Amino acid sequence: MRYIKLIVLFFQSSAQEELAYRANFWIHLLHALLNLATGAAGMWILFRQVQTLRGWDFTAALAILGVYLTLDALRGLVFGPSFEALAGMGQEVWSGNFDFTLLRPLDVQFLVSFRRWNLYALLDLALGMAVLGTAAARSGQPLSLPGAAAFLLALLAGLAALYAVLLAFTGLVFWSPAFTFTWVFDAVFQIARYPVDLYPGWLRLALTWVVPVGLMTTVPARALTQGIPPEILWASLAAAAALLAASSAFFHFAARRYTSASS
Amino acid sequence: MIPRGAIALVKGTWASWMQYRGFFFVLAFGWMVPPLIYLLVWSTAAGEGAPVGFSRGEFVAYYLALIVVNQFTYPQTNWTVGDWIRGGMLNTPLLRPLAYIWQVLADEVAGKVVFMAFVVPVSAVLALVLRPELRLTPRAGLLFLPALALAWGLRFLWGLWLAMLAFWATRADALLAVQDALTFLLAGVVAPVALLPEAVRWLAGVLPFRYMVGFPVEVLTGQLDGAALLQGFAIQSAWLALAYVLCRVVWRSGLRRYTAVGG
Repeated sequence: MRYIKLIVLFFQSSAQEELAYRANFWIHLLHALLNLATGAAGMWILFRQVQTLRGWDFTAALAILGVYLTLDALRGLVFGPSFEALAGMGQEVWSGNFDFTLLRPLDVQFLVSFRRWNLYALLDLALGMAVLGTAAARSGQPLSLPGAAAFLLALLAGLAALYAVLLAFTGLVFWSPAFTFTWVFDAVFQIARYPVDLYPGWLRLALTWVVPVGLMTTVPARALTQGIPPEILWASLAAAAALLAASSAFFHFAARRYTSASS
Repeated sequence: MIPRGAIALVKGTWASWMQYRGFFFVLAFGWMVPPLIYLLVWSTAAGEGAPVGFSRGEFVAYYLALIVVNQFTYPQTNWTVGDWIRGGMLNTPLLRPLAYIWQVLADEVAGKVVFMAFVVPVSAVLALVLRPELRLTPRAGLLFLPALALAWGLRFLWGLWLAMLAFWATRADALLAVQDALTFLLAGVVAPVALLPEAVRWLAGVLPFRYMVGFPVEVLTGQLDGAALLQGFAIQSAWLALAYVLCRVVWRSGLRRYTAVGG
């Protein structure tokens, strides 16, 4: 309960900060639309040339774009900006301001994950869901209640996996405070714009076992457009839970390395 | 012309850039990923036997060349010039007995060295893994060099005049995002220009973006015959001339409006 109250407070204070710069809304809208347009155009150009590619057609690819945009929006809404305050030059671990974060009487992982919100990401979220809606409508099969539930669960597993991997990447900051590890992940995460089936075998292995990008976007998109067998759904939920536990343990272990900055 | 001062500027800037090479390597990695994704997706499509007009190895060669050319012509000074104007840091170079353009060029050269130090070895390794197919004729190799030089000049000056709009509007850097999106779609990143739909292909041929990245790569990989080559060079040079004039005009009138903020 206390944690929910805190989240509301964090959200309000971030909103106040953000609303001081309202022109940013238009800039953000422009970026969001460009991101959507380039993504959709990329899919369209590819699937104009080839009708289907390893079992994926334009509609299924739209679903994956929708999942990608939705997950990216949720990340941008809360844990993305929160983690960014931690890593990189001039940020908390680098400057030593992490002292004040550690001293608060709260779980440190909770605090570093939920303290900053970016309101404009709600815009991205709306666009991502619109793409998902379009893909679901185009796929032509009526979405049943179990089908929708399976999709939402797969999406939840994807979100949890994304959070866990980002948390682990952020934990690396305690070894090298000035390095923005999350940017490396951003670059890798772009690979999730396309189904993992379209990549060569060695990369597919890495995307399944090292950075589980397939779990994040490919599985939910499959669930939306053609349904997935229950064992895949359970496996991805279990994998997400395992990732969460492992990365949380890693983050706490890494944070113990923090020795504060000199001045 | 003060070459001695200019060389000192390049040296100084390069030293400060090398300080943060980890940061720039991450940036370069991020810029590499989108073309890399399309390399993998298109070569999968070609490998599955889709009738796209390129073989798997030709896609690999096209995109590896594109990655290097894209990095070579990418003017990171686009972003820094706008920042200098907005932040009032322009005062310092304006007081120097050396035209400001030398500082911009120094940034450009220093950055290029740092970025190429990352991109060239990585592309070479990728070439070993992915086995490109390139039948390089001496003519294509010779014509590639002027095409590349013109592409660099065009992209540099084009980015510069856009960045200098910061004299009038603080958020002019939003335009650079539009420019990046258009480059992605029309310059041959999302697909080789020859594979774009008819109307888009026409647009790509007329607008400047293809001549910043895709054109030199098409020249190198021998996709263009005599007439297309001639036309390409003509359009490229025309856009370069226009960009130069725009830069002159915008710089002159912008400088008159410039009132230093901070310093």
